[in-house]
Amino acid sequence: MPKVADIQRALEPTWCPGCGNYNMQKALLEVLEESGMDFEDYAMVWGIGCHGNGADFYRAQGFHGLHGRALPLATGIALTNPDLKVIVNMGDGDGYGIGGNHFIHSVRRNIDMVAIYHNNQIYGLTTGQASPTSDQFMQTPSTPGGVVEEPVNPVGVAVAQGATFVARGFAGDVEHLKSLYRQALDHHGFSLVDVYQPCVTWNKVNTFKWFRDRVYKLEELDGYDPTNRTMAFEKSMSTFHELTCAPDECKIPIGVFYREAESFTYQDGLPQLDRPMWKHAEAPRDISKILEAY
Amino acid sequence: MTEKVLMKGNEALAEAAIRAGCRFFFGYPITPQTELAAYMAKRMGKAGGVYLQAESEIAAINMVYGASAAGKRAMTSSSSPGISLKGEGISYMAGADLPGVIINVQRGGPGLGGIQPSQSDYFQATRATGHGDFHLIVLAPSTVQEMTDYVFRAFDLADEYRMPVMILADGMLGQMMEPVVLPEPKTELPEKPWAVTGHRGERPHNVVNSLYLKPEELEDTNIERFERYERIKAAEQRAEEYLVDDADIVVVAFGASSRIARSAVNKAREKGIKVGLIRPITLWPFPVNAIGAAADRAKAILTVEMNMGQMVEDVRLAVCGRVPVEFFGRAGGIIPTPVETLAAIERIAASLEGGAR
Ligand SMILES: Cc1ncc(C[n+]2csc(CCOP(=O)(O)OP(=O)(O)O)c2C)c(N)n1
Ligand code: SF4
Repeated sequence: MPKVADIQRALEPTWCPGCGNYNMQKALLEVLEESGMDFEDYAMVWGIGCHGNGADFYRAQGFHGLHGRALPLATGIALTNPDLKVIVNMGDGDGYGIGGNHFIHSVRRNIDMVAIYHNNQIYGLTTGQASPTSDQFMQTPSTPGGVVEEPVNPVGVAVAQGATFVARGFAGDVEHLKSLYRQALDHHGFSLVDVYQPCVTWNKVNTFKWFRDRVYKLEELDGYDPTNRTMAFEKSMSTFHELTCAPDECKIPIGVFYREAESFTYQDGLPQLDRPMWKHAEAPRDISKILEAY
Repeated sequence: MTEKVLMKGNEALAEAAIRAGCRFFFGYPITPQTELAAYMAKRMGKAGGVYLQAESEIAAINMVYGASAAGKRAMTSSSSPGISLKGEGISYMAGADLPGVIINVQRGGPGLGGIQPSQSDYFQATRATGHGDFHLIVLAPSTVQEMTDYVFRAFDLADEYRMPVMILADGMLGQMMEPVVLPEPKTELPEKPWAVTGHRGERPHNVVNSLYLKPEELEDTNIERFERYERIKAAEQRAEEYLVDDADIVVVAFGASSRIARSAVNKAREKGIKVGLIRPITLWPFPVNAIGAAADRAKAILTVEMNMGQMVEDVRLAVCGRVPVEFFGRAGGIIPTPVETLAAIERIAASLEGGAR
């Protein structure tokens, strides 16, 4: 089965030194190796942004989609082959901004796939504009006076919209991230893994240190029940924090917010998808009857 | 004020728009128009206007639709892939007879393409920005000064003819710096009695809409619009002519490629080749008069573009078979060099000499 070195392309990633994307790639590569999946067992899809440059850094059956449209693209792929694990990589601008509507609809469709968001709270590739997850009042080249809007709360939206697996990771904790990826891959249904991925070049507020001082693990929280949607929603509200808040004032939970053991996916609703479409085409056809006529 | 300032093309577009009375700018990040939005972000608030980075290009163009329907001067800018997304909104604006300015700082395509300069959205701008029977006025600057002047003019044209106007620039013009003289800010803007501003019972209801379920009504709006287009074709065609009077060969090139064509023309003249340049300023309405007249005098036409050959179709329509129309272009973000362009001119010159062969 493919090892990390097989899945990683020889190409040197072009991300800035210290970028959170490196750890996210490391975690995913290691989980892919552990999973024992062969190259044919999964497909990867990327949106457009720094995260999307990852399309060049994996050896995988891969698709680099339009900016914001990775989820519909992945949906098309997933529907052609229910046996395939589809892993989607998106940015926050990409997947929560321009592709925000697809996010909501993919959640409610419960398409069986893993949606990984490289959430750096900034538009990285286009040089540092505010993104839908930038903290309110943050100053960026597109918001010299500070961001006016409230940030999107991806975990809250997903939980409220009926998502069947919702997790949040931090690129500074690879082992923890790996456990989230593992669970997401195991989940039958749409799995959201929103990952805080510090952009060391453009986001000087939400740095590795900023997160390290604030994150805590849900699984270590006494009495937290990830099968309780209300509890998950309540916890998701701590996404919102003051830009200048002291570490002990804004604690940020990471881990699995919510999971459903039994989940009915879109594919489950389509009995004709009991096997990949291309296998339908391969079904042996008896043409002797037709030939008899001649 | 005739003081010159040094500006990037993208910044000049933004500053001139504000000076033209634009107070609503809706954008979405994309290379290579980034500086335009960044400039707007800094300046618009101080000018008493609104800069909003939308969640997508589709949102941005619809915000322009809304602000324009409410009677304000509004603009959006993007680069090629983003303009494709705006196409739907632009079609609706054309159908609702709404003014508005759309800036395309083109990059190579199709698809995600690249981020280097290109002119491959000529068809999109002049033929099919969106669905339905409609046109935009399309202006093609070739210097930073023209970026300034054309966007300033674009707002007036948009209001006068009640239609969207596009500035078709490219990454090269957007990124380069040149000295410009900025126009004096406009203090008076045209009245918009058609705008939906609320009437407090004092005038009949204004309706801004592109939906007509009765085919006859829809046809009537199309016919009216195309009569307007005919007036625009008669009044607004613009082209710059350079050394065309005695030219045997006329090069036709717009925007950034016209700068390269101009140096090639100069070099060819030094070599004794009689060649001139026509630079279409309005891509729609296409300057058929200038090119038609050139076709009457010249022996051959060469179209130079940063694409696989798009404007050349309009040139051929204008020339109408009178003289051969050749094409030279580079695509994908590659800028043709003056040397290559000169070689293309020389090939035509040689074939003209050997014409009796
Ligand atoms: C339709 C369209 N609009 C805009 C762009 C320009 N663009 C490229 S990447 C990007 C966003 C990058 O931000 P994000 O999605 O957060 O990803 P990051 O670079 O931070 O990983 C944008 C707007 C594009 N490629 N296509
Ligand atoms: S700009 Fe930011 S997100 Fe992009 S590679 Fe550099 S550090 Fe990473």
